Amino acid sequence: MKYKFIEDLTSDVMFEAYGKDLKEVFENAAEAMFSVICQLDKVKPLESCHVEAKAESAGKLLIAWLQELISIVDTEAMFFSKFEIQEIKDTMLKAEIKGEPIKPELGETVVKAVTYYKYRFEKTDKGYRVRVSLDI
Amino acid sequence: MGAVSAFDAEKGIISAGLCGFDINCGVNSIRTNLTADEVSAKKKELIQELFRAVPCGVGSKGKLKLTPEQLDDVLKRGVNWAVENGYGTKDDIEHMEEKGCMDGADSSKVSELAKKRGAPQLGTLGAGNHFLEIQKVSDIFDKETAKKWGINDVNQVLIMVHCGSRGFGHQVATDYLKIQEQAVKKYNIWLPDQQLVCAPVNSQEGKDYFAAMKCAVNYSFTNRLVMTQWIRETFERVFGKDWESMDMHTIYGLAHNVCKKEKHLINGEKKDVIIHRKGSTRSFPNDTVLIAGTMGTASYILKGTETAMQKSFGSTVHGAGRCMSRHAAIKKFWGGDVKKALAEKGIESQSTHPKVLAEEAPGAYKDVEQVIESVHGAGISLKVTRMVPIAVAKG
Repeated sequence: MKYKFIEDLTSDVMFEAYGKDLKEVFENAAEAMFSVICQLDKVKPLESCHVEAKAESAGKLLIAWLQELISIVDTEAMFFSKFEIQEIKDTMLKAEIKGEPIKPELGETVVKAVTYYKYRFEKTDKGYRVRVSLDI
Repeated sequence: MGAVSAFDAEKGIISAGLCGFDINCGVNSIRTNLTADEVSAKKKELIQELFRAVPCGVGSKGKLKLTPEQLDDVLKRGVNWAVENGYGTKDDIEHMEEKGCMDGADSSKVSELAKKRGAPQLGTLGAGNHFLEIQKVSDIFDKETAKKWGINDVNQVLIMVHCGSRGFGHQVATDYLKIQEQAVKKYNIWLPDQQLVCAPVNSQEGKDYFAAMKCAVNYSFTNRLVMTQWIRETFERVFGKDWESMDMHTIYGLAHNVCKKEKHLINGEKKDVIIHRKGSTRSFPNDTVLIAGTMGTASYILKGTETAMQKSFGSTVHGAGRCMSRHAAIKKFWGGDVKKALAEKGIESQSTHPKVLAEEAPGAYKDVEQVIESVHGAGISLKVTRMVPIAVAKG
């Protein structure tokens, strides 16, 4: 399983994402978030953008990565559906993301921000498990 | 109520977390002299025209193309920029909290990224719980006050706009949460929750946040006034009369996510404090308090009270509040059913896609009537009028 949504009344949207390594969990978390923003399965990977993020730890890097993706929806006026981390360490990442210019009918909801509410970033036997709340 | 907090204006803190991500998310109410019958006859056409006139949905871009200099002007001067450029009138300014512009906004404290996100979005509604609603007055509880605000009869039509500072405000909040995360370590502040990051109000980090937050407040007041003018122009097209003859004046415009410096009585002493209202409305004596309900249920206009000054730092509730997460609502409700149920109640609805109707289904919210009875009973704001929806547009 790449990700699943979790019920939490206080949180607008909460999901868990999984991955065997940092690359995979970061890509899956991005996909989970974009399934809230737009109709992921209908957004075609026609154009690509380069994204970089930095933070002082892997846990904070995930939040920085997701925040960068929220901003780029506005600055590039695009929805994204494919996320490929090209290089990742605990404190930095470089990625290529693909999508298409915004069509209103493909929109779902505005994600305002990634929050620290009940935030979890855990290393498990199988890799990584993260829990993220979105303010929408 | 969401959260209201007050900190000493000299020795206390200011918190980007306590103000929230959608800075100056708020509500404007506009009156008309049209009756529910006149508007209901054209409600389908009207809501479709409004949906076209006011851009909404994820990533929606406005019809305004602001230069960086114009955006800076909006951030510094708020609705004064709007009025000078033909959006709204001086009368609108007189009927807004802070007169639609907080002093001390400094755009040099705002990131380029926030400006880049904000410039194309001025004059857009956004998505989610933000809406534009045509309402009819169903009850008047306080005739004298209602009359002062231009509400004379039941069945009179009002318009309510609920939205915020869009990507601009979200980015300002996100940027300063990071800055205040560092400030908490620098100034050795203990926090029970990471979401409450803050900075001493008189530190550089605290002052910078306050100046940047005010830019987002001014952006949002301007955003709602620009849309108000487009709503007026739409009514002019549909009803073939000018908006002044339809008495389409602003009843009031207010913020429900904001930080402000105010004086409050604490332990018998008047003190300057930094008030954070998140999901909460100012309720100073005789203030106009606008409470947005949900799509299928009532909204209210209340009056602020002295009791609120004593009990809740001059604050009251801001809306019904959810009783079901958006995710649960999507699973429980289907957009098509929600639209049909609204239609059966005589409410015309228009949205970018059906799912937003499911997310915002009336059943996902608390009973607004109980919420209003609670704040009226507690005396922190008193009922003036109740409105019910005729038509609603959602992003």
